[in-house]
Amino acid sequence: MNREAIINLIKDWRIALLLVLVIGALIGIYLAPPNPEKGLEGNLQFGLDLEGGSWLQMEFQSVVVSYSTDRSVEDLIENLHRGLEAEVIQIDADHIEIRKGVSRADIEPIFAASGAKIVTYHKGVSPYTADDVKRILSKKVNALGMQDAKINLLTPTGSEYPQYVRIELAGVDMATAQEIVGKQGMFEIRIQTTGNETEHVLFGDQITSVGLPQKDPQYQTWGVGFTFSDTGARAFREAAIEHGAVDNPAAHHLVMLLDNETVYSAPLSGELVAQMRSGPVRSLSATTGTGDAGLEDAMALEIHLRAGALPVKVEIVGSGSVPAALGEHFKTMVALAGLLALLTVGVVIYYRYREPSIVIPMLAINLAEIIILLGVARFIQQLDLASIAGLIAVIGTGIDQLVIITDEVLHEGRVPSSNLYMKRYGRAFGIIAVAAATVIIAMLPLALMDLSTLRGFAIITILGTMIGILVTRPAYGKVIMAILSK
Amino acid sequence: MEFVRYDINKYSPRQMVTLPLVLLLIAGMVLGYTTLTTGLPLQPGIDFAGGTAVTVFTSDSRETIEATFAAYPLLSVGEGIGSGKYIQFGPMDNAQYQSLSALINEKYPDAKVDQIGETFGKALQGQAFLAVLFSFIGMSIVVLIAFRNLIPAGAVVLAALADIVVTAAVMQIIGIPLSLGTTAALLMLIGYSVDSDILLTTRVLKRKGKLEDKLAGAFRTGIIMTTTTLSAIAAMWVVSTAGQIQIISEIASVLLIGLFVDLMNTWMLNAGILKGYVLRSGKK
Repeated sequence: MNREAIINLIKDWRIALLLVLVIGALIGIYLAPPNPEKGLEGNLQFGLDLEGGSWLQMEFQSVVVSYSTDRSVEDLIENLHRGLEAEVIQIDADHIEIRKGVSRADIEPIFAASGAKIVTYHKGVSPYTADDVKRILSKKVNALGMQDAKINLLTPTGSEYPQYVRIELAGVDMATAQEIVGKQGMFEIRIQTTGNETEHVLFGDQITSVGLPQKDPQYQTWGVGFTFSDTGARAFREAAIEHGAVDNPAAHHLVMLLDNETVYSAPLSGELVAQMRSGPVRSLSATTGTGDAGLEDAMALEIHLRAGALPVKVEIVGSGSVPAALGEHFKTMVALAGLLALLTVGVVIYYRYREPSIVIPMLAINLAEIIILLGVARFIQQLDLASIAGLIAVIGTGIDQLVIITDEVLHEGRVPSSNLYMKRYGRAFGIIAVAAATVIIAMLPLALMDLSTLRGFAIITILGTMIGILVTRPAYGKVIMAILSK
Repeated sequence: MEFVRYDINKYSPRQMVTLPLVLLLIAGMVLGYTTLTTGLPLQPGIDFAGGTAVTVFTSDSRETIEATFAAYPLLSVGEGIGSGKYIQFGPMDNAQYQSLSALINEKYPDAKVDQIGETFGKALQGQAFLAVLFSFIGMSIVVLIAFRNLIPAGAVVLAALADIVVTAAVMQIIGIPLSLGTTAALLMLIGYSVDSDILLTTRVLKRKGKLEDKLAGAFRTGIIMTTTTLSAIAAMWVVSTAGQIQIISEIASVLLIGLFVDLMNTWMLNAGILKGYVLRSGKK
């Protein structure tokens, strides 16, 4: 091929697009940002099984029930709360969350006794509670300076309530991972005495429940309700009276500390003081402020009040760990598998066509496809073992489809005119488009399902197929035409 | 390769479809029998039944490992090439798992450990079943839209179904359990299977020329396609099995079996039905 032909080829949009994407992918992997100490891996994101680390999958011990009732909802919630000894929270007009792993049969009699009916029953928690769990877990992990933690909520297909939370910690062994997840902070309430001095009132174990942030309809302020145990309520009253907070609230702030850091400090409200004069108060509310800032503070305070304990109990349903050395071994192995796959494919293709001018473009196009796929994956999908299996499968289908194009175009010898060529190419493209559509459809359920660890496999397969059909096949068609008509 | 010498034009449609249909029937019976006796069409692996899997590189023999873990529900000790071992345990309660975990940590600190609870395995099972069902329905719809003709489209769908059923039966017979990895491989098989079926159907129905030439041409292209795919998957299988990468090894094994099964189903079952269809509609 002469120089002019090559320039013409590059000017074709299909080839140009391919080249731009390959260069873009290489930049994405190696230059944006540069990551020389990682060597060949560049910015590629690897999964836990290649990087080393631990994962824990936990199931929320909680159910979400929608109901219908003619009587008051408060009664229903109160009955459930007492009957099950569980926290019960109203999520919206007709859904409640019961924070205990109860079966439908467990709660049916209580609903019947309260004149209510269960409409739907799902295991899991409300999206709000789920986010809460996620925030608490990320806080714990971040506090330990762990950068590479992933916390994902998993919702089974067919439900809208997250049922599991999966946490992945790179470079951490199983024992440490369990400790991090299970660790609680120390929560303390103190009261201001004189100046900056404070006096201990009670610890977090005296807080029996913590509510969700709520807006006061009268003052438009956000706040979080919480309740003390009887002992806690008495201790709180005695301290408030003894240190003068009841007589002069403004000078004796209530101070909350988590792990010895102040997380909240405010005077007692006039209303509360009035109540406390007559006796211990169990239900309190800590106000944070108005607007979005108030809401945010309230959400943070809710977590602090729980002292790092999750609002719902969780049970570990799956766990695993990979030592970094073994991950490194797997990495070498999969790289070897990929190279070997490409090589054997090359040999087979050469055996069939015995024509370097066909075999080399085929392999080059295949390689380009893998580079583009890795370039895209670098931004959206970490590569774990399963997704690498997907990558190798893509090499297989990719070559398949190039064979279809080549055979279709080569039908009855060399190509006579570009008209006929385009017709044949169109027909080949029709075949591979249908084949690609079926692969994508077949993999879609797996890609959308939260639960499976095979999302990566499906996503990589789908991505590879799409890149193939949109970019590399059209470019190959153009290249092979130029070669055949030389 | 023996199969390459198969002359697609030598046999009548009836002869072509007999073997695949008989195998499909036998496979159906194998899966049916397993379902009746165990409640599931295939022996579930740890992902679906719950349990613990340990991958470790150690010079300890299988007997030593069996003795070490005698107190736990040990299912199997698999050996790879070299010193790789894959140890599987059945489901156990939390206390027992904690003690096992400590023992593994003490004996083999460099092991990869994965544990799945029994109920969570059940949940995964349900989800995987949904995935296969949706995939299959989706694939059928795409094929039906592409060909807009019931018999050719039906033949493609039947061939894909036969691929999955026969492959699953072979898995059951040689003892590859159903896991997340093998489920994904079965789904991938839908994609691979349809590839060559569509090539065949398009060539035969949309191209002009003699039926014999079109079948022979499609077969030539199809064989080279499947061999290239097979070679890529075989490379993946060799390296992953030698390197003790269980999930990739499982996926590759199933794809290998599936691709061989697919050769039969495409070039005997699907081609047979298609040939019969073309011959019959030609006579009218």
